[in-house]
Parts: sequence; C-alpha cells; structure tokens
Amino acid sequence: MWLQLALNAFTLGSFYALIALGFSLIFGITRAFNLAHGEMVLLGGYLAYVLGTYWQVPFFWTLPACMLTLLLLAVLLQALLQHVREPFELNSLVVTFGLALVLQNGMLVLFSANHRLIRNAEAAWSLPSLHLTLTQLQAWLIALSLLATFLVSILLRKTFLGKALRATIQDREAARLAGIPVERMSVIAFAVGGILIGLAGPLYGSTAYLHPWGGMEATLIAVVITIFAGVGRIRGVLLGGWALGLAESLAVVFLGTSWRELVSALVLIILLILRPEGLLRVSYGPVR
Amino acid sequence: MMKKTVNPPVLLGTAFLLFFSLWPLTGVGTDLHCRVLGFAFYYGALALAWNLLALTGVISLGHAAFFGLGAYGSALLDHYWKLSPCITILAGGGLGTVYGILWHLVFKKLRGAPFALATLASVEVPKILIDNWDGLTLGSRGITGISDLPSLQWAGLSVLLGRDPRALYYLFFALMLTVGWVHRRAFRSRWGWAIRSIREDETAAASLGVNVVRTRFQALLLSAFFTALCGAIYPHLLGLVEPPLVFSLHLSALPLVLSIFGGRHQPYGPILGALVLYPLDQLLFHSLLPVGHDAVYGLVVILTLLFFPQGIGAWLQTRLRSA
Repeated sequence: MWLQLALNAFTLGSFYALIALGFSLIFGITRAFNLAHGEMVLLGGYLAYVLGTYWQVPFFWTLPACMLTLLLLAVLLQALLQHVREPFELNSLVVTFGLALVLQNGMLVLFSANHRLIRNAEAAWSLPSLHLTLTQLQAWLIALSLLATFLVSILLRKTFLGKALRATIQDREAARLAGIPVERMSVIAFAVGGILIGLAGPLYGSTAYLHPWGGMEATLIAVVITIFAGVGRIRGVLLGGWALGLAESLAVVFLGTSWRELVSALVLIILLILRPEGLLRVSYGPVR
Repeated sequence: MMKKTVNPPVLLGTAFLLFFSLWPLTGVGTDLHCRVLGFAFYYGALALAWNLLALTGVISLGHAAFFGLGAYGSALLDHYWKLSPCITILAGGGLGTVYGILWHLVFKKLRGAPFALATLASVEVPKILIDNWDGLTLGSRGITGISDLPSLQWAGLSVLLGRDPRALYYLFFALMLTVGWVHRRAFRSRWGWAIRSIREDETAAASLGVNVVRTRFQALLLSAFFTALCGAIYPHLLGLVEPPLVFSLHLSALPLVLSIFGGRHQPYGPILGALVLYPLDQLLFHSLLPVGHDAVYGLVVILTLLFFPQGIGAWLQTRLRSA
C-alpha cells in the first residue's frame, strides 16, 4: 500500500511540476503574475473534452491542438500585459485576476457547471507481488510531464536562446544592456508557457473533474511550487512538485479527501511567511 | 488649490445625500429599482471597507474570508441560540475582526504581490475548516432557516426590515454612509495623512514619527470588521448560508473591482464604482447573460487598469477641473 501511495504521489507530483513549469517561466522572465494560469489550464482541458466527445478526436491528437490554442492565447495575454503600467507586478496581478474571472464565467456559459471528465482507456499494468498498479493514464502523466520538464531544461541550459532567457531571469535591466531583446524574450516566455499550459490542460481533464471554479486551485499549486523552487529553477520545480504531491497524498490518507485542498493553501502561506522576499529576489547564483 | 476645490464637493455631496435619501419617497421607480440600488449601497459599503485596507498600499484578494466568517458567525449564533439579529450581526463582525488580527500577526511583513497571494490562499483555510467541521457548522450542507432581519415598529407602523425593499434601501444607505464616513476620515484627518504617508513610503513615514505598524493594524481591523459586518447581514437576508456561497472568489473580487473602477484614491471612489457598475450589471447584463454575467466585472477591471489606472473618479475630476 505504501509503495502504491508513493507511486501515486510521484505521478501527482510530476504533473504538478508540469503545471508549475509554465507559470514559473512566465513569472521568471516577465515578472508577470498570471493568476489566470489555472483557468487557462482548465480551458485546455475543456477544449480537449469537446474535441474528444463531439468530434471523436483521439486523446493523443487533442494535445497539439490544445498546445497551439493556448500558445496563441498566452501570446495575446502578453500583448495585453505590455500596456499595464507601473507598479507592474501588482497591476499584472490584478489584470490577470480579472482575466481569471472572465475565463471562469466564459467557461461557465460555454460548458455549464457540470463536472466533466475526459475518459481514457483503463488499461493498467500491475505487479501483484508488490501490490502495485500503474494505469496507462499515470504512465502518460509521468512520461509527458518529465519529457516536458526535460525539454525545457535543455532549452534553458544548452541553447543560446536559453542563455538569453536565463540572463533575463537574473536581471532584466542588465540583460537589456547586454543587448538581449528583453521584449522578445517575454513573448518567447509566454509562448513556451502557453505550450506547457496546453499540454497540462488535457492531462488535468483526464485526472480530475473539470469544473469552471476549479482553476484557482491549480493557480495556487503553481504559485506554491514556484515560490518553493525559486524563479526559473527547473530541478527545484520538480522537487517542489513531488513534495507537494506527497504532502497532498498523505493528507488524503490521514485526514480524508476533503482536506486535500487545504494543503497547498497552507504551504503557500507558510512559504510566504518564511521567505517573504524569496519570491521577488533572485539569487545571483547560476540558474539550474 | 485645496481652497478652490472645497466648495463643489460639498455641494455635490449634499445633492447626493438629498437625492438618494428622498428618491424612494417620490414613487419614481419600481420595487426592483429600489432593491437594486439598495444592494448597490451594500456592495458600496463592502468596497469602501476593502479600500480602507487598500489605502495603506496593499491589495487584498481575500476579503471573502472576512465576509464568510462574518456570515457564519451570525448564522451559527442564530441557528443554535436564536439570538436577536442585532447581536448575531455584531458578533459576526467580531469574528471577522479576530481573523483580521490573525492576518496582522501572520502577514505583518508581507507587501505587494506576496501579500495579495497570501490573502488569496487565506480564504481556503476557514472555508475548508467550516466545510469539514460537520458537528458544528453542518459542513457543506450549509445552515438553513436563519431568521429574517427584525421588524421595526414605530408610531403604530410595522415594517419588515428584511422584506420591504424601501426599508432595506435605507438600512443599506445608512450602512454605506457609516463606512463612508470612516473611509472619509482616512483622507481628511491626521490618521488619514498617516495612512497615505505609509502608502507612499513606509520608511519615510516611520522616520517622520508615524507608527507604521499600529496605523496599518487599525486600517486592517476596520476593514475586516466592516466586511464581516456586511457578511453577517447576508445570511439574514437569504435565510441560508453555505461555504461556497460566502467564501467565493466573487466576493473577494467584487469590492476590488468596484474600488479600482471608481477610483481607489478618492474618498467617494468605491461608492461611485458601486453605484455605476452594480445597477448596470443587475439591470442590463444580468438579462443579457443570465449565467456568466460576472465576466463583466473581470473585463471592467482589465479595461480600467489599461485605460484609467486611477479609476473613473480621478478621470472625471480632471475633466471637471479642466472644463
């Protein structure tokens, strides 16, 4: 049973890391708090649901469709946020909070308040000797989350573009002085973030029920992990995701399902109190 | 410049008071209009209460916590002991204030975005506690059968405060004027100067002898108390309360949207926002878009921050002055 719990926590945690990755990139490079992050993930989930239910698109092919749509949406959001005035951090927070309201209610109108779930084949592999079962969905979650994380880490660490992105994360003004087109880096951050959100959406819709009000929880998860990890630290994001997944799984086992939502909120408050400036100050060490 | 602008505001203010206190008596407008305007005052009070804290320079995304605790405070006292609504409502306000003290203790060092995020998360804590504490709060089923607001008896006339739209109108008008008076004090008094100096620069304010911690604490407590007071009235109006209803994102967002739209840095800004936006939403958008009309509030806050970052109040003022 404990092994199964660990496996489930690992799956959940890898998925949380995927959710947080887009948020972390966007925040790190543009300093924009995207409070509509969770709603955008949900939107991707609903899109995949509609494609799968009404047009019988196979689940695998809904992924690129969602990634493309969310990429466009994220780039639009970036264009919108460019016009936000100082203080940018707080104002971008309020603007995206407004966007979250718009998306929530838009989804309520389009998809109604019913709970939706993307149904996938229930194939599973099991190891009876260890009482361990891995469903196909879990395998997808782990594989896609880790693959996306790996690719982003390659992008940041092994390419020239990645160097420019990391420089922007460390110090926007210094990067600008060094000749890095900071505005273009912002667009790229939102584009990559949008792709990651679009990937997370359909996966979210197949692990948890989609509901128009569910976005804030996903946003909180992304914020928690980003603060835990520090901006733009991919390994930290993975670690944070696993830690949060484990904490939530343990809360479900010991306290019951209904207490799960409390975990991310409490962890967020504790993290903010312990490192109130940790969110905003980037250490000048290498971005790993 | 101060001298010149003193007169028109006084005139406008008097006209505003006279118009809105006499309007229901003229018989112009239906019960529906009366009810909608009444609730516009109610949400105006909520927006003013939110802005009391925002004036110190921080943005809260979690005022639903105070609202919900106020609602549950009054609903529980009513459910178990059937106390008079006057007592339950004050007690609800008190419960919200206690949570405000907790905010002060825990979030003391947070500013800006971290503060906003912490407040956003802090709504979940009481919500999930209440949702799961079946023995005390009846959990997610909510509490039903909460008594109405009392009836007023005066000179042989009896008016059901919770049922008669005109009585409700005056009740909420008085509520808004009360909070509005405190809100005005935050502009026109020594305390108000202290608050604004904190907003502009905390260190400078402290070096001038402003007690930053205490002033901030006072603003937070007043804000929490009035928000919880509004929340405590809510179950008496509806007759029921349940966690998702009172701890909703909608209730955290609405005062923020109304204040930012009306103008956060004007004494009357939140009132202006509530009186323009809420009736517009209820009378126009509600009929156009029955389910998702809250989207309008989101759109309004985005557009306001992009085009009138100081709110329409400030925009109107500069227009009037240049005219």
